[in-house]
Amino acid sequence: MKMKRIAAVGLTTVMTASMLAGCGGGASNSDKGNDSNGGSADGKTTLKVSIWDSTNNPADLEAINAFQAANPDIKIDLIDIPSNDYNTKLNTMLNGGSPLDVIFVKQADSLKNFYDKGQLLDITQYVKDANIDLANYNGTAENFSFDGKQVALPVRTDYYVLYYNKDIFDAKGIEYPSNDMTWKEFEDLAAQLTGDGNYGAYMHTWQAMAWNWGIQDGKNTIMSYKDGYTFAKPYYEMLLRMQDAGSIQTYGQLKSGNIHYSGAFAQGNVAMMPMGTWFMGMIQGKIASGEANMKWGIATLPHPEGVEAGYTMGASTPLAINAKTKAPDAAWRFVEFMTGKEGAEIYAKKGYIPALSDENTIKTVASNEGMPEGSEEALQVKNIVPDRPIKDHVGEVDQILGEQHSMIMLGESTVDEGLAEITKQVKEVLE
Amino acid sequence: MIEKKQSPIITTAIYVMLILLTVLTLLPLVWMFSASLKLDSEVFTVPIKWIPETFHWDNYLKVWQKIDFATFSFNSIKLTILITLIQVITCSFASYGFSKCKFKGRDTLFLCYVATIAIPWQTYMLPQYSLMRMLGGVDNHWGYVALQAFSAFGVFLLRQFYQSIPNELLEAARIDGLSEYGIYARIVLPLAKPALTTLTIFTFVTAWNDFMGPMIYFNTESLKTIPLGIRMFLGQYSTSYELIMAASMMSLLPVFALYIPCQRFFVQGVATSGLKG
Amino acid sequence: MANKTKQAGKGISLNTRNTMVGLSFILPNFIGFCLFTLVPVVFSFILSFMKWDGFTQMEFAGFQNFVKIFGEKRFLDSLGHTFYFAFFTVIFSMAAALGLALLLNRKLKCVNFFRSSIFFPYVASIVAVSCVWKAMFMEDGGVINGALQMLGVAEDMLPGWIASTKWAMPAVIIVSVWRNMGYFMIIYLAALQDIPHSLYEAAEIDGASKWRQFVRITFPMLTPSHFFVFMMLTINSFKTFDMVFLLTEGGPGTATQLLSMYVYNKGFISWDYGVTSAASMVLFLIVATITILQFRVEKKFNDFM
Repeated sequence: MKMKRIAAVGLTTVMTASMLAGCGGGASNSDKGNDSNGGSADGKTTLKVSIWDSTNNPADLEAINAFQAANPDIKIDLIDIPSNDYNTKLNTMLNGGSPLDVIFVKQADSLKNFYDKGQLLDITQYVKDANIDLANYNGTAENFSFDGKQVALPVRTDYYVLYYNKDIFDAKGIEYPSNDMTWKEFEDLAAQLTGDGNYGAYMHTWQAMAWNWGIQDGKNTIMSYKDGYTFAKPYYEMLLRMQDAGSIQTYGQLKSGNIHYSGAFAQGNVAMMPMGTWFMGMIQGKIASGEANMKWGIATLPHPEGVEAGYTMGASTPLAINAKTKAPDAAWRFVEFMTGKEGAEIYAKKGYIPALSDENTIKTVASNEGMPEGSEEALQVKNIVPDRPIKDHVGEVDQILGEQHSMIMLGESTVDEGLAEITKQVKEVLE
Repeated sequence: MIEKKQSPIITTAIYVMLILLTVLTLLPLVWMFSASLKLDSEVFTVPIKWIPETFHWDNYLKVWQKIDFATFSFNSIKLTILITLIQVITCSFASYGFSKCKFKGRDTLFLCYVATIAIPWQTYMLPQYSLMRMLGGVDNHWGYVALQAFSAFGVFLLRQFYQSIPNELLEAARIDGLSEYGIYARIVLPLAKPALTTLTIFTFVTAWNDFMGPMIYFNTESLKTIPLGIRMFLGQYSTSYELIMAASMMSLLPVFALYIPCQRFFVQGVATSGLKG
Repeated sequence: MANKTKQAGKGISLNTRNTMVGLSFILPNFIGFCLFTLVPVVFSFILSFMKWDGFTQMEFAGFQNFVKIFGEKRFLDSLGHTFYFAFFTVIFSMAAALGLALLLNRKLKCVNFFRSSIFFPYVASIVAVSCVWKAMFMEDGGVINGALQMLGVAEDMLPGWIASTKWAMPAVIIVSVWRNMGYFMIIYLAALQDIPHSLYEAAEIDGASKWRQFVRITFPMLTPSHFFVFMMLTINSFKTFDMVFLLTEGGPGTATQLLSMYVYNKGFISWDYGVTSAASMVLFLIVATITILQFRVEKKFNDFM
């Protein structure tokens, strides 16, 4: 009888031990994938590709279909994951050793983490062999290189612009926002536009709505805690002023009303909204489906005093290959296509800004049917500051910012208290 | 039931109270239903409109068009039934072993069960996934069923109930020459009906609403379940609250199909006053 | 109670036979349980003494992880919040469930309709339900504050609910009681019907008031259910994640951050699986202590009966 008990305990121990071996040794065999180059000669090679919310993003699907049409020997097997849970699932899959070949990385800053764990395939040689000039990615590709190894290429680049509702401007007889406007002017304009059930502006609940403007000049990042984050202060004060003046909906309302920025803008009672370029495709979709009914326009993002117009924040979506892939060549062909000319063209035609861009790209994007007049000028940028640096602990810092952001915006702590708390906590994380 | 003639005032008071409580409880669900018939932009208007201006019944149709609701429903029903069956059968069996059989090591084994109950799934999600992958249980239904069907909770729950069955009853049966299996089948099971129903409902609802498990374990579209489908409307690029509400309303139906017959068990099946409270 | 009859001294063969029979009952479940739950849990137990990021080689860390979390304000805060949440959720859910069961344990018209309605919240999709509650908790224009205003609460006295650090936790507790009460009401209902009718009749003859009957008969007779409901609620509240996350994301600030969220964040944002496991072990120890205490009290109680 004791035997059974011992057997049960023994079984548990053995299983656990084998798991320890299986999990812990992950890094050591991460290069194995390279041995099986072109292993699947007969039949189709299937690539498993992870992506988020693809059902709502026709551009990705169209580019992927074009790739399959051009490469009949490769089949793409999409793993569609809800965006909110993307990182959780992706990490479980990678750590658990699930078969996965190509990864759309949702947050560029998590790339460093994947790299540190040896989860990304070094594609330096591929890039070299394909004669790809990284300079064509306008400085975004270099961010995905660690210790001299290129581990990903950018697919899309998104940056912040200012959307506006022409109908509200027309009704008030106010001139449309210019492409060279300071945040102060933006705030005043919003105040003028407020009234008759309209809000002058819409600021989403993200902490980016204060922090992004603070880092717009490119001098600081969310990791620069040394000066107590004073650079964010003017923008928090601006948000709170606008909230008090009623020219934006309050943070509390937006949160408890489950408001999504696309719905808020589509409703037609918001005059201006700073938002990423990904929203261009969304608003066009809303208008096409009849959910929204308005004339809209784009202007260059307002800028801080003393910073040139055309400075904005943005992020690129990296496409990386899992180090454990069995078909690195096929995976590379996919990456090359998506991040190359063909992919770029498809994205541009669908209203998304591809990372690989030249003077014609913006023209293509702006000339899409459904894009407002003057978008070409509005979309011109001088400098794109990464909204989050690709460094260790960015995720933790971001979480701290999010927590304190809600405290400040709800009036639970003052701006100074909030920033002091952030400084204190970030210091703990980074030191 | 307490059958006593009560003064009509008290009866009325009870009814008023019940109606009030029911209204309060159902308020969020009425909201859900009303929202499921609205346009996206009307869902969260302030102050709220309980009755939408126009009834958009087509929201329900849209759910079927936008996601593969039929497949998701089929999967949800299949998985939930499988999990519930395995769970209830094996747990009722094991609980008998843990409460009514005496052998060495029994309590040690039971301790293992208790130990795992308190640990949040987020803790061992990753090792469990690695293990499952090694066993080939990722991205298919059996793996997920295996994962959910042997939860410690069911054993814990039923053991509590079984322990309230007096040992004298079983002792008498043993003297009559009934084997342990016979006792289990003829005495304990019939007595444990309310407990089994409790566990059935608990398992069913938990499995039915589980989101994280299917989210982590299923990659292929044709394997996914209703909660995953509902989350598809809560995306990065757009959020369609009216569709979330419509899909949620629809996902309530099967649970009620189970609950209503089960409810009778509580009312009728419990004529066992011989049980020590 | 289970130990009343000992089968001692009947020889090894009987013992072995008993073991075989006992195991045959347990094994079908135990094999699955051991493989899919116990092994990963044991693995995380080992992890709590390791330093590991989930992928690269792990190192032995001794008690460092435990020292680390107990020195961290975030952990201690979330521990406090978890106790706050669990305590009130358990108490109020039990009270609500018992109250409803007493109300509904009688012959009434539409009793099944009432019972089903109360049970409804337990079943509804958590995503939809949390969106709705968020909107109901809106500070200005929300249904709840609207009702409070009608009842005469002054405007500046209205709670901020999920938009305030003070009221966010009560809001979360309200939702969780709302969700729990139907299920536990059913458990109480089942138990209420087990109470022999004769007890009440006897009390009636003695002229005991309704309240006295409740205190003297109903409540004590429900003791096993109290223990059971208490245990289930405690375990579940200590593990709550989804609902609170969807309602408040742990905010404002960290006002509603529970231990389960701390565990999740450490695992999936900070990549510190050692700390994740250590924090879970603390959670485990708490629940285990409560369980053991509960068993002790129950046993004493049963012996006393």
